[in-house]
Amino acid sequence: MEEIKNKLEKILLKANKPARYIGGEIGSVVKDREKVDVRFAFCFPDTYDVGMSHLGMKILYGLKNQVPNWWCERVFMPEKDFEMLMRENDIPLYGLESLDPIKDFDFIGFTLQYELSYNNVLQMLDLAGLPVLAKERTSLTPLVVGGGPCVCNPEPMTDFFDLFILGEGEEVNLELLRLYEKMKPSCPTKEEFLREAAKIEGIYVPRFYDVDYNEDGTVKSITPNVPETPARVRKRVIADFDKVYYPDSFVVPFSEIVHDRSVVEVLRGCIRGCRFCQAGFIYRPFREKNIDTIKNETKSLCEQTGYEEVSLSSLSTSDHTKINELLTSLSEYTDGEKVNLALPSLRLDSFNEELLERIQAVRKSGLTFAPEAGTQRLRDVINKNITEEEIMSTCKMAFEWGYTQVKLYFMMGQPTETDDDIRGIAELSDKILQLYFETPMEKRGRSVQIAVSTATFVPKPFTPFEFEPQATEEQIHHKQEVLKSAVRSKKIRLSLHYSNTSVLEAVLARGDRRVGKAIYSAWKKGCYMDSWDEHFQFDKWLEAFAETGIDTAFYANRTRSYDEVAPWSHLDYLVSHEFLVRENKKAHLAQTTRNCKEGCSGCGVRPECGGVYCGRQKTST
Amino acid sequence: MADKRLQPKNVNLRPDRFERRVVYEKCGRAKYISHLDLMRAMQRAIKRSKLPIWYTQGFNPRIYIMFPLTLSLGFESKVEVMDIALLEDIDFDEVVKALDAQMPEGMKIVSCGIPVHSHTEITYAEYSIRMVTDRSSEETMGLFEDFLSKDKIEIEKRSKKKTVNIVDIRPSLDVKEMSADTDGFRLSIRLPAGGNFNLNANVVAETFLGMYGLNNEEICIERTKILLADGEDFC
Repeated sequence: MEEIKNKLEKILLKANKPARYIGGEIGSVVKDREKVDVRFAFCFPDTYDVGMSHLGMKILYGLKNQVPNWWCERVFMPEKDFEMLMRENDIPLYGLESLDPIKDFDFIGFTLQYELSYNNVLQMLDLAGLPVLAKERTSLTPLVVGGGPCVCNPEPMTDFFDLFILGEGEEVNLELLRLYEKMKPSCPTKEEFLREAAKIEGIYVPRFYDVDYNEDGTVKSITPNVPETPARVRKRVIADFDKVYYPDSFVVPFSEIVHDRSVVEVLRGCIRGCRFCQAGFIYRPFREKNIDTIKNETKSLCEQTGYEEVSLSSLSTSDHTKINELLTSLSEYTDGEKVNLALPSLRLDSFNEELLERIQAVRKSGLTFAPEAGTQRLRDVINKNITEEEIMSTCKMAFEWGYTQVKLYFMMGQPTETDDDIRGIAELSDKILQLYFETPMEKRGRSVQIAVSTATFVPKPFTPFEFEPQATEEQIHHKQEVLKSAVRSKKIRLSLHYSNTSVLEAVLARGDRRVGKAIYSAWKKGCYMDSWDEHFQFDKWLEAFAETGIDTAFYANRTRSYDEVAPWSHLDYLVSHEFLVRENKKAHLAQTTRNCKEGCSGCGVRPECGGVYCGRQKTST
Repeated sequence: MADKRLQPKNVNLRPDRFERRVVYEKCGRAKYISHLDLMRAMQRAIKRSKLPIWYTQGFNPRIYIMFPLTLSLGFESKVEVMDIALLEDIDFDEVVKALDAQMPEGMKIVSCGIPVHSHTEITYAEYSIRMVTDRSSEETMGLFEDFLSKDKIEIEKRSKKKTVNIVDIRPSLDVKEMSADTDGFRLSIRLPAGGNFNLNANVVAETFLGMYGLNNEEICIERTKILLADGEDFC
């Protein structure tokens, strides 16, 4: 530690925002390394500013550090300037709490939140002084483990990891570390430990599965090669969500991070089932916390951190069964403490005047909506169950309250999309604009701006669109031209994103184990920090794909049949294959599916998982 | 306390505002906290301390907090000052205790009192500098003596209007002590500080290093005093 600390002293002032690399923040947990038996490096494969905003890390950091003889530390990807300084001065990647090199830790855990961070995992392992390939790390430690939403299809990353943790981590992380603590004194081999770990529900050890391929390149079969491991690994889910561990303090950073505030998780899962949305399926079932629990957690966090803002986190906050009561109760506390209450993730159709008034009271920003598609037909296809009337009535209300900025998010390249659907984006924006002009002068704000953003649709595993092709670059460019020529008013500002990153995302999201060779090759060519425009090198990626024989169109732009063996078919995320097929067929008929609150649609999630609406049908009939 | 809404908006008319001047240390890991980050960190520390803090009375109430003299990123100091205001007349010791409990590693609350001098009265600051260059400590000191023997040392200084002025800093260098030790060349120096003319110790060091083409291997700067025009301590 002293060695790294002394070296850091000499280089920190040469780096941009050095406070990110030295730890010492309020709320960070420092233990006596002599009294610790299990050391865990929690790595977020992106910069400090991004990673420190991530709620999952805060939860699992607090959870592990509750155990007196375990020590979990934070590790982030340094910016390139600091990475160079580290390499020049032989400083290996270290934990922010102890400043010890992470290569000596028992576990190195990565959270895989988005595909474009994959190569940072390799870069961080390398910076730690470790071989990136799992097969070259033969000793028991460090065990390199991965979790997060992307591990619902971790196949492209299997070459680099020892095991993956599927689903929610609050219970399984403890089970895994307890097993390790128990086995460590007997000095098992890595293989021996992994065989025991594979028996824990939710632990997926990729080396214990063999993958065979068909002649056409699709997966033929995925079969276990040791007796300890199940044919399908099921994700973990917290059944009693109200009682789940939640940290009572956060690490409060010095330098400003992306989401610099207290965050309280109010619910998990989503009742909606928008067909493009992976989070809406892999986090099922819908569970929520009681108002008292949320209030206590809010109070405790605000007191511990001193943050001036608290935000409610969820996929759709307004779906909390007692949302109005919750907000009333919370704002009593936050107003008294001069704390801002931020409410992201509010759904358009749930907006009522009372909610709007509450937001008005605490925050006077613009409104942001995501209709996702321009026509009702396409919204039905994607099961985004909002009608145009609902959009209009909300915007009308917003304009009457004096809001002058409306941001609208759309996706391009969704299944069955036509040019009419694209022109629909312009027509919808135009109608919203007209609403502003119809609002009485004395009520409306002085000017108006409608900001329309489009992103390219990326089909994801465990959604009804996992079978769908992604639109090609040419198709997206055509759609963008259609939209540009359809927008006439200067009050409507278009930002059309097309980036080759969405091709890469599509390949990585639905790739199989062979894609790992391309990741390795691209990393060797210097590709990492791919989510940062200034660092993304698509040409190098294309070279890597070509050299490793990976056809991007095969992964991104091909329609997959319902009976094709998906690379992730040995992983069980509770939502059934039959349900996804049923939903896909309905999408092509532009038929919507009711949400969980309106009635069960039989997605396959069992009632024992604790879903608020699961199994309700049986009891009521 | 009376209903706050009935109190006058003009802060000077408000009787229930108790000003406190707090002296604190910023050393070790904390020297990497930038000034902007420090302001945020202090606001959060005050909030955690649960002291009855006075908020500004504007449209967006904020914790009232003032720093008379910024400390550059990377400098250490045991004499830093910040002013806050409380709603109740709380004992100095109690303020020190409550705030100190909330300080991050490397920071410590030293004392608390009532502000005597205004921020504009700050005229000088003293720094203790230790530098290791690619020459020996003795050689470095010899070169610094040569540096001081110049009639004029001109630097470019950006004014607030973004124009660049040429300023002679030689008259502003008031060296108190110099020595060449095994761990580097040590210098104790008094420089102008505050709103009128502020000279950053780093600028002096860089100008010196640049003039003789020295490579800076390590440089540690600590602010040791904040002074009034007559040389008395600011607080």
